[in-house]
Amino acid sequence: MTEHRHNLTPDVVRRLTVDPHPWLSCDDCFGLIDQYVELLLDEGPGAAQRMPAMRAHLAGCAACREEAQTLLALAASDRGLDPDEAESALAASASELGKN
Amino acid sequence: MTAISRSAGSHPVPVIETDDWVARLSTPGPGRDAALRELHALLLRAARHQVSRMTALVSALGAERIDEIVNQSADEAMVALLGKLSTFEGRSRFTTWAYKFAVLHAAVEVRRHAWVGREIALEQSVEPWSSGPTPEDYSEAAALSAAITTAIDTVLTMHQRQIVIAVLIDDVPIDILAERLGSSRNALYKTLHDARDALRAQLIATGHLSSAQSTGWPR
Repeated sequence: MTEHRHNLTPDVVRRLTVDPHPWLSCDDCFGLIDQYVELLLDEGPGAAQRMPAMRAHLAGCAACREEAQTLLALAASDRGLDPDEAESALAASASELGKN
Repeated sequence: MTAISRSAGSHPVPVIETDDWVARLSTPGPGRDAALRELHALLLRAARHQVSRMTALVSALGAERIDEIVNQSADEAMVALLGKLSTFEGRSRFTTWAYKFAVLHAAVEVRRHAWVGREIALEQSVEPWSSGPTPEDYSEAAALSAAITTAIDTVLTMHQRQIVIAVLIDDVPIDILAERLGSSRNALYKTLHDARDALRAQLIATGHLSSAQSTGWPR
């Protein structure tokens, strides 16, 4: 076991303190992610409030968020929507957690 | 709500009815063979897209090996998807549902390759942030940072500290750490969930965070 000093940057502080509720596991996130990205594509980032557990999970799990971003870009492309704009919608839905 | 713009010159993919996909993939015969080929093409596209977004992690592998990762991910996704075909409920387009299998397998595979041979040290200590964005911010930010450091040391178990530092501070991917520890992504995320709960409760108790705040950093 090594002892190494780490620096708490602002971004790290956000990761440490983001509200993890409502609870959702990574497996359950995988089960719902297709519905979630289509909800965002159909109704915009504000619709994330209708799936609060998904929003909280994606704000707190970098791996699931990385996969959600790709899925959103693919689904947006299929619909002829701008993938970059769609990804911004996902980021906006997650960042709303930090606006309280 | 903000609508997402249509891409210039875009041509939306025609929607094939979900029932068509499920029926074609479930009914033996030439129709199923064609559907399997179409499905594999979809999964290849999704896997390639995921890998292309992570090129910084695999650029040293070379084009041939990267192509192998794409194909292997699509193949594994195909097996996983067909095993779950009966669970598809049509709550999204079939294509969106299918993509997620390839995206997951490709992302996991890229992370695995990126971390081959890299040691992951499980550590237990952190230090407060050493500089503020502006002199005005410094005092509040430094106080919060110090409070978090104390909370990590005092309210988290050793296991929680190790997982929190590895995943949230040192950026070790959660699936890679789970693999190294013989654990699962779900189990480690639950550890992070409980640790965040404990950290937030302590910071609220010490007045460094309000219960209404979703994250703790002065704005």
